Amino acid sequence: MLVAWRYRIRNSVLEKIDPRTRWLVSFLILIAITQFWDIRFLLFFFVLVIFQYVLSRLTWRETFRAWLFILFFIVFIVGINTLISGRAGPTAVLQGTHTFWTGSVTLPLVNWTITINLTLEKLFFAMTQIVRMLSMAILFFIIPFTIDPRTYGISFSGLGMPDRFAFSMDLAFRFVPTLTRDFSVTLDAQRARGFEIEKLDGGIFAQIRKLAPLLVPVTMNAILSGEDITNAMDLRCFGLRKRTWAQALTYRWWDKALIAFGIVVAVASLVIRWGFGIGQFWMPDWFLNLI
Amino acid sequence: MEKRSLWQFGTREVVFAAIGAALYGVLSWVTNFLALPAAGNLSLRPAVAIPMFFGIAFGPIVGFLTGAVGNILGDFLSGYGFWWSWDIGNGLMGLIPGLIYQSITNYKSGSSIFRAELFAALGVIVGMLFSSLLEIPLSGVDLNTALVGYFTPSALSNLINGLILLPILMVAYDAIASRSGR
Repeated sequence: MLVAWRYRIRNSVLEKIDPRTRWLVSFLILIAITQFWDIRFLLFFFVLVIFQYVLSRLTWRETFRAWLFILFFIVFIVGINTLISGRAGPTAVLQGTHTFWTGSVTLPLVNWTITINLTLEKLFFAMTQIVRMLSMAILFFIIPFTIDPRTYGISFSGLGMPDRFAFSMDLAFRFVPTLTRDFSVTLDAQRARGFEIEKLDGGIFAQIRKLAPLLVPVTMNAILSGEDITNAMDLRCFGLRKRTWAQALTYRWWDKALIAFGIVVAVASLVIRWGFGIGQFWMPDWFLNLI
Repeated sequence: MEKRSLWQFGTREVVFAAIGAALYGVLSWVTNFLALPAAGNLSLRPAVAIPMFFGIAFGPIVGFLTGAVGNILGDFLSGYGFWWSWDIGNGLMGLIPGLIYQSITNYKSGSSIFRAELFAALGVIVGMLFSSLLEIPLSGVDLNTALVGYFTPSALSNLINGLILLPILMVAYDAIASRSGR
């Protein structure tokens, strides 16, 4: 079983950006997006994150799983739920009168009849909701594909996380291939003893319990080797002084410009939303005039 | 074995947080990938017992990092992206059982296991509730969607998987705890 991080060198513009800048700007843009319910503002952010996605040079093959996951959640669970109920929407949506479809559905077994009343207001609100959530999802989901896992420790240390925590994160990435190999060896060893993971029988509780022969040896072996690693690190005086890292990160002029851009967008969003009160849910009149 | 203070974060904690996180990440990824049979809506996620167990065995900070960093690693390996609100929720799932770390000395005794299960259950509820409710300001879903669509399925599956496997791990750890540690 081979472990492959999703990151590989793509020579994209995004990789020229310091990872600390990526994290900072992503969170600043997230703050900005969460302020708005107005589709005109949200479309601006949507274009922005799509632009970032295009810059990342990701291919469909690499990302289709993430896309399916995101689209399923957003379109089906949230989008359709919002369309039917208009929940979480402002009163304009809940009391919308521009009905374009009415029907009733009878639930099997319990025989509850639910009347569904679809209005243009709800439809527009669902569209706004989908744009908003897609923007936030696309903003973050490219991170594992575009930031080198070797730089997480130093990035977080550079962003002010205490060294021990940053090193712990770094170490976790380092342990993944080792533990995957251990898992694979354990699985083979247990299979040789007749453990059949593909054919767990019994109820759900029994099935979960039958995973113990796999879980316990891997965990206990990892803990025992952890003791050795702790000793080795203590012998080398880990944590007695401020740490230096094998790689060094430097902010270039474009990093500074990007951080400045992030701050301006976040502050401007806060001012527009809370200072001027602009950015709440909005519907164009022509949309309501469709029927 | 001598118990260390609750919020200490020395070399030992650095290493075990890293091991716990890597284990949680790898196990959530491989059990996805092995396509285990699922009964009904409940998925077999044996990995959720890892943050609870690491919290109980090594303290709340180790538990938190195991859950949070482990969830990040698992999502990275599976290619799901980065979902920071759920990472924090998974962290809480390890932190809360870790709060009784000092009171558990005998991992085999019935009362220790009972308290561990109680705090693990509390951890699942608080952690998953935290992430689900955070979806309200973030994604703008309403309370009902947050509770029915996000909280109930995640908490139920984590509770069942975690509470069955946690005692098994504790009893197994009891055998090696006496040989390990300083």
